[in-house]
Amino acid sequence: MELEYKPGSIRELLTEIKDLSELMIDLAYSAVLFNDRGLAKEVLKLGEMVDNLRDQLSMENMLAVRDADDAEMGVGIANIASAADKISDAAVDMAYLVIRKIGPHKALREAFDSALERVERARLSPRSILVGKTLDELQLPARIGVDVIAIRRWKRWIANPSEERRLKAEDTLIVRGSREGIDDLKKLAQGRMRKLE
Amino acid sequence: MSGSSPRQLKKIQKHLMELKNTSELMIDLAYSALIFDSKDIAEEVQRLEEYVDGLHTKFEMSILSAQPPVKEADEFLSLIRLSLATEKIADAAAQIAGTVLRGIEPHPILAVVVNEAEETIAMVNVSEKSVLAKRALKELDLPGNIGMRVIAIRRRRKWVYSPRAKTIILPNDVLIVRGYAESKPKLEGLAAGRIREL
Repeated sequence: MELEYKPGSIRELLTEIKDLSELMIDLAYSAVLFNDRGLAKEVLKLGEMVDNLRDQLSMENMLAVRDADDAEMGVGIANIASAADKISDAAVDMAYLVIRKIGPHKALREAFDSALERVERARLSPRSILVGKTLDELQLPARIGVDVIAIRRWKRWIANPSEERRLKAEDTLIVRGSREGIDDLKKLAQGRMRKLE
Repeated sequence: MSGSSPRQLKKIQKHLMELKNTSELMIDLAYSALIFDSKDIAEEVQRLEEYVDGLHTKFEMSILSAQPPVKEADEFLSLIRLSLATEKIADAAAQIAGTVLRGIEPHPILAVVVNEAEETIAMVNVSEKSVLAKRALKELDLPGNIGMRVIAIRRRRKWVYSPRAKTIILPNDVLIVRGYAESKPKLEGLAAGRIREL
């Protein structure tokens, strides 16, 4: 797990909760779509992490209040944290479908193909030019509009990989992006496309 | 033959994807409303929530009318549960928008949080000399080129939410754009006309 629990400022905690909750939605849809138990378990783990972070945030939030104005602004923060937590709960609900072996429906795949943003899996061939590069070096979001949201390496999942994370041959990437971007990413992963512009 | 017809399945798929897309748009709009302290956008989120509620009912009706065969019951259940998750997400967005509508003073760090996140939200004004002006979203392919997409456009006093691929950006449009934080300076340059190439 890339992210680890650490006490921090309200700003850091809230940023992390927001990022994680949105990532969880994408991962949960992928888990359902690919009927992937490992990924579903990862979503559950992230859900627990969001709960912990939210408790921590509540404490920091209470400690920060000195007067009535602070209290009002604190309400705003608590509301956002609670909304993000709700989003994380929605993702956990989806992940439980996989854990409890409910579905998926065969129509889901086709439905998701019509979405504006798609989530796909791609396995890195040893011949791929992505192998050995860090995400920071690759700059995939800026270049092809594709974001790596998780990596499976052997039996381990790396959710929300950091920019310094180096890709290895045989990694399975979960990526999110436009149809064209994902087509390019797949070609790059297979080694059929040798240039990243 | 028992069970659902392809036409019924198409309808189910369409409703589900619309639930998914709308709920995600609502999150983006809700955060936009928050950081730009915009009641207009917050109200749109509330309207969308009602829309999602209606859509959800239609979706449930389409599932029931498809008369799922017993052996596919769990597959259909997964569709229902997914739609419930999208509704929860829509509720969360409405909750964020609610703080804006009730006039709760936004904490200054909220804007920082949204800007610091990996995916940021930006609001830009399209200048007359911008290369973005007078071109369709499809043609610009902002998601492919800079990893950002337009989630709303304010034209004169009207908002266009979830613009289509063929929507043409006009000079003086205000765009709300979501995406890769590192592309924000480039987007701002493009909109201002300082950067001439995508």
